[in-house]
Amino acid sequence: MSRTKGFRSANRRYLYVFWPFMAAYVAIILGASFLIDKDTSPLWLKVAGALAATLPIIGALWAILRRVAETDEYTRLRQLTALAQGGAITAGIAFLVGFLQIFNVIGSIDIFWFGTLFFLAYGLSVCLLQFGKTV
Amino acid sequence: MKNTVRILRSEKGWSQAELADLLNVSRQSVNAIETGRYDPSLPLAFAIARLFGRRIEDIFLDGEASAQAAE
Repeated sequence: MSRTKGFRSANRRYLYVFWPFMAAYVAIILGASFLIDKDTSPLWLKVAGALAATLPIIGALWAILRRVAETDEYTRLRQLTALAQGGAITAGIAFLVGFLQIFNVIGSIDIFWFGTLFFLAYGLSVCLLQFGKTV
Repeated sequence: MKNTVRILRSEKGWSQAELADLLNVSRQSVNAIETGRYDPSLPLAFAIARLFGRRIEDIFLDGEASAQAAE
């Protein structure tokens, strides 16, 4: 059931869809910030804006996972390691923040930032694996 | 696992990038294999052996077997 296409082909297919998704994300965020007023806009517009902004993120995640499935075995190992490290760091910080909130040490933090934190941690792990010698 | 990929590649006059292109893997993969940081799967090991016209066991050295033979 191998879907391996090799490193070059997988990278090319990844970049062909990743950057358009990111461009769409930026365009939608700019459009939504222009069109949507948090206090006065109708509910349907807010929901539509949220869905529209989320779809490119889901697309980017799909592109990452497709590259993991299609690339060469060593790159796949490193990508999976980075994704796992990103997930572990995000989960760890989510639990810490959650307990701090339960114990009334800090106020509420938007759950939105944990998605951002995951991408940050994943990117950091990729860089560490790229320049380090851990895998 | 030790291997002779770097030696065989040098004999052919290929860079790591050229060998990576021939195997359809990343240059980092070739580097990791050559330095022993990553042991390739059987299909990739067969592809490497085929490319150099050698047997897998001539390229990838089983340290344990070598140690037993030496005893």
